[in-house]
Amino acid sequence: MSQSEAIRLAADVGGTFTDVAAFDEVTGELKLGKALTTPQRLVGGIEHGVDKAGSRFSAARLFLHGTTVAVNTILERNGARCALLTTLGFRDIYEIGRVNRPESYNLFFKKHEPLIDRDLRFEIMERIDAQGTVLIKLDEDQVRAAVSEAVAQGVEAIAILFLHSYRNPAHEQHAKDIIAREFPQLFVSASHELSQEYREFERTSTAAANAYVGPRVRTYLSEMERHLGDAGFGGNFLIVQSTGGLFDVDDARRACIRMLESGPAAGVIGTKALCDSIGMPNAIAFDMGGTTAKAGVIYQGDVLMTGGALVGGYATGLPIQMPMIDIQEVGTGGGSIARVELGNALRVGPESAGAAPGPVCYGLGGIEPTITDANLVLGRLGADRFLGGEIRLDFDGACKALVDKIAKPLGLDPIEAAEGILRIATTKMAHVVRWVTTERGLDAADFALVAYGGAGPLHACDVARELAIARVVIPRAPGHFSAYGMLVADLRRDFVNTWFTPLDEAPFSAMEAMFADMEVRGGATVTRGQSVTATSARRALDMRYVGQEHAVTVDVPIELFQKQDRAGIKQHFDAVHQTRYGFAVPNEKAEIVSLRSAVVGELRKPAFEPIAEGGAQPDAAAFRGTRKVYFARLGFVETPTYDRAKLQAGNRVAGPALIEEHASTTVVHPGDALEVDTFGDLVIDIRRA
Amino acid sequence: MDDVTKAAPAIAIQHNPVVTEIVRNGLVAVTEEMKINLMRTAFNMIIYEALDFTVGLFDAKGDIVSIGLGLPMFIRGMSDTVKAKIAHFGGDIEPGDILLTNDAYITGSHLNHMTFTVPIFHDGELVAFSCCMAHWPDVGGTLVEGTTDIFSEGLQLPIVKIYRKGVPNEELIAIIRNNVRLPERAMGDFRAQLGAVKTGERRFLEMIRKYGRDDVLGGIVAIMAQSEAAARARVREMPDGVYEAESFMDDDGINIGQRVPIRVKVTIQGDQMTVDLSGVSGQVQGFYNSGITAGRSCCQVAFKCLTSALDLPINEGAFRALDIVLPPGRVVSAQKPAAMRMWMTYPMTIVDTIFKALAPALPSQVIAGHHADLCVGRMNGRRPKDNSFFIYLGGLLGGGWGAKFDSDGRNAVIAMNDGDTHNGPSEQVEAKYPLLVERYCLRQDSGGAGKFRGGLGAEQVVQARHPIRFSSQMDRARCKPWGLFGGLSGLGNSVALHRFNQAEETHFPNAKALNQVLQPGDAYILRSGGGGGYGSPLERDLAALEHDVRCGYVSKDAAERLYGAAFKPDALKIDIGATEARRNEMRQRGLPHDEPITEVIIPFPATAAPQPLQPEHEKLTEEERVAFAMQCRCCR
Repeated sequence: MSQSEAIRLAADVGGTFTDVAAFDEVTGELKLGKALTTPQRLVGGIEHGVDKAGSRFSAARLFLHGTTVAVNTILERNGARCALLTTLGFRDIYEIGRVNRPESYNLFFKKHEPLIDRDLRFEIMERIDAQGTVLIKLDEDQVRAAVSEAVAQGVEAIAILFLHSYRNPAHEQHAKDIIAREFPQLFVSASHELSQEYREFERTSTAAANAYVGPRVRTYLSEMERHLGDAGFGGNFLIVQSTGGLFDVDDARRACIRMLESGPAAGVIGTKALCDSIGMPNAIAFDMGGTTAKAGVIYQGDVLMTGGALVGGYATGLPIQMPMIDIQEVGTGGGSIARVELGNALRVGPESAGAAPGPVCYGLGGIEPTITDANLVLGRLGADRFLGGEIRLDFDGACKALVDKIAKPLGLDPIEAAEGILRIATTKMAHVVRWVTTERGLDAADFALVAYGGAGPLHACDVARELAIARVVIPRAPGHFSAYGMLVADLRRDFVNTWFTPLDEAPFSAMEAMFADMEVRGGATVTRGQSVTATSARRALDMRYVGQEHAVTVDVPIELFQKQDRAGIKQHFDAVHQTRYGFAVPNEKAEIVSLRSAVVGELRKPAFEPIAEGGAQPDAAAFRGTRKVYFARLGFVETPTYDRAKLQAGNRVAGPALIEEHASTTVVHPGDALEVDTFGDLVIDIRRA
Repeated sequence: MDDVTKAAPAIAIQHNPVVTEIVRNGLVAVTEEMKINLMRTAFNMIIYEALDFTVGLFDAKGDIVSIGLGLPMFIRGMSDTVKAKIAHFGGDIEPGDILLTNDAYITGSHLNHMTFTVPIFHDGELVAFSCCMAHWPDVGGTLVEGTTDIFSEGLQLPIVKIYRKGVPNEELIAIIRNNVRLPERAMGDFRAQLGAVKTGERRFLEMIRKYGRDDVLGGIVAIMAQSEAAARARVREMPDGVYEAESFMDDDGINIGQRVPIRVKVTIQGDQMTVDLSGVSGQVQGFYNSGITAGRSCCQVAFKCLTSALDLPINEGAFRALDIVLPPGRVVSAQKPAAMRMWMTYPMTIVDTIFKALAPALPSQVIAGHHADLCVGRMNGRRPKDNSFFIYLGGLLGGGWGAKFDSDGRNAVIAMNDGDTHNGPSEQVEAKYPLLVERYCLRQDSGGAGKFRGGLGAEQVVQARHPIRFSSQMDRARCKPWGLFGGLSGLGNSVALHRFNQAEETHFPNAKALNQVLQPGDAYILRSGGGGGYGSPLERDLAALEHDVRCGYVSKDAAERLYGAAFKPDALKIDIGATEARRNEMRQRGLPHDEPITEVIIPFPATAAPQPLQPEHEKLTEEERVAFAMQCRCCR
């Protein structure tokens, strides 16, 4: 590792932009590049971004990649033709789903649409029960016949779901072996490889999604590898998973679905690294872009995780059941449209003007006013300073749209209308930020808000004030923060194993064996071909009171297993239950639902260099003049603007102020106080309302 | 009490649309948080998985401010219960009180619906109520299904203060514990509900602190006004007129085969709609009655579907353009001591019948009939491992929904009574109960044929691994989900038993199989109906029909017989020319025929005495027996 050139490259490929971060491990220098995403040949955008960051592939020893290829394949429905093999009697479980009707009063409601049509779902004679006992042996000939039929129908990938495979995967494994042997050209995804948790619909959907995206992700990764080779890259290629951990290309080719929420996860990991570096245990990662705002949580130094997600939204989404960072989102972004609806109600979002036509002020044909237009009219964005002045914003157009579409119909003046739109947007985002904490029984006011994404810094102080959050941190390069997060991620492998057992009766020997198995497999995975500095394993149990349906995940220190401390485990569970739900019942018995293991292979972290130090007063060179900015209850205030690149550690700025950089503007409100920390982060103390 | 409650300052309507929108989003978030809080802390599957509960905020008069999406058919129940509590206590409501009742004639439903209410005081002024209804799996009463009065259905708790000024009434709690079969579970749900209503109280007060009393209360008034305006605008677009329809329920489970008529009359005049349920049957002897608030819910659910389906929060203003005529003593305005345990079944059909009445006026807004039943089975028994008693509400298998003017009905979705209700994973059912789910699939040809096809119903076959007692109380077996504008009816709901190693299923003519004992190896089979079709099946797009046949939603036979399809030899490809010819011929002959009512009366099976164990049982291990029974059934 003592190469003279040790560049670590990270590329986050989003819908509009590809962000690249290049970190030089020798000099500690971080360089950034932003390029347009090139959908036809994604690697083109990445190369361009690497160029813009002033780096090259041949100098890199590590390439870290976040990609939306998997999630887009599902949302755009352009994955492989797939078949499903399933237990006799359960062909329709994928289509029946959970039978719920979230839009309860909508007679025209829709439900999820399976990725595999009914004629390609084949039932196989076999049965295992909840105890893992084989009741009916797998009919191998039926497997062969079904797969032959599927191949004749042009299928490229097979998903396998047999009931209770979380308890006993023998039949799924056996069927997969037969297919691998006799139909080696097929991509095969058995549910237990991805999820060893009960719930057959969710597991089917997970296996099917993996099969559906598998061939395309494989091709994508192979092409990427080839291009990297052509570009002279000779290092390791790692992908970001939805857990925020990295996995290697070989793993990624099999368990493609693990990379589903790559980009957003990396942002939360970046937030955690930031928290570690400045000694801040509790923070909310707040990521606001063009169409959505997302929130994740760092609590007591750990990223809060969840057991799954619905891809495509609650009402019609497809479930993916696997551990991932708990990220909630709301349809509020810079491009969110404001509208007056029936009954003179003012609504903001979730419809977005997107990148095209975009907000009215982009002058690309947008006619409906958006949050960005409101920011321009209130002076928070400068018409001549957007994207470093690359695009000149149309102030008059934005104003006119606000007047015609909002202010006039509601009898407001245009400034009231613009300010109202931002207030509504603020409260909507505050609800989602609050949500990620209250769903755990935590209070947002005890957290700092780390804001990034193009629009995050514009709104962070408003959102913080709404939630009585005392401190906002705007990291360096907030517009590239997901790419930055990749640079500080570790290798990671997660396991979950459903094992319904009353805590009182759970043999520690059996638990130890299951954990040891997961830890050995995980250890082998994360160390394969990588130079990790250390590996560590964390254990958790999903537990509930006997009779309860829903389980909570309880992190359990490994010592409690070593000491076989049953009462200690119970106390941990009671405490988590108390925090999360406001009550615990120490004298009620608990049961274990699942065992969870997360094995982490630590990579050497980049050590960021402090930025140049300055005095309390920013350098004169940083000052970029003043402009009128509207603030609630004060009206328009002559507000100083600063060039972020020229601020130095220790500089202090009292609000009102605007801190401008290439892809983002930070709004500091009157009464708020900003200080630049050692690493160049903007730390803002929010005045108590 | 006057010394605590100050005279409330008047509430001004909030004219600032920004504040109104902020309050609106805040109210939706509060009710959502109440819902999640309850869901996650509940002890029983029917609350957590089935989401059989409703939470909400109400103003000081008991009018709906925001109710979370829960049971649609409870859209009126909580508000009317809160109002009953206000009337009961008069001014004697104080901070720290928690008001409870499960009175079936107040909630309009069954005794399982424990309804908790917390008064919310701000600065000594009563400003709102936070309320939560949730379904307890057991409230005492007989386990024998087929009750004919309320007294056999369980504990009846009148309106009481379960907490008085923050102090629990331990005597009342002891009475509850003493009257339910699973007191620990019940107390778990009790705590979960308290948590939910207290969350609503806390968050509502936070909103008031943040935005100010006047903005919040004035915002609520404005939201109701917005909702009213929106609903009126939509009613105004509907053609004026008087629209009527009728349907019927198969029977009340006691008077077998005696139809229960459902007649509705809807009047649209300007921006006001009136639904008249005077023509609905009087209350019945069996346990299918519901209270007047449920009857009013029927009308409001239908009205919301047609005027503000996706608007939130659900609030009182949305219903001001609706008048309801419903005299007491009808099956949906039943009076004591009518039996109420299956309260939810009939109202769903009333909602469908309202859509049927309005079909000529609103052809692009209504749907054809749906399966209109929760399709549940109730089981109880003992676990072999530790002999512990269990009650399990199985099924919830979802059924077919009606087709619309532009699209097919949905397959296997929960009926109108419930909204975000989830079925239970079969893997969980098998882990918790001595049951084995042999099959859970769609019913081929159950969706009514039409230009747009009705959704398919589902079938679930469940084997008892150990003895259980089983009951199913479905309806709409004979009055099938109807089609619209030439669309055909879907299949009705049905229930059957299949005894171990027998050739034939035992069928029940009215979809009611009460108190049946299942021995190891026996299975019960629930089948939900399909939705009605929309438009003539002879107009169905051929590519869609071919896809239906290829995927097995429609059989080749039905495609030929009902849709006029002609297939190419040896293939599931449609012959377009031959199909056109056949369709023309069918048109001339007035085909296909619709059969909206199942006229075939199956003889009702003799009361099932407990079956003796079959000798085959003796020779097999449990696992062998389960596999043998399953294979016998699936290979019939």
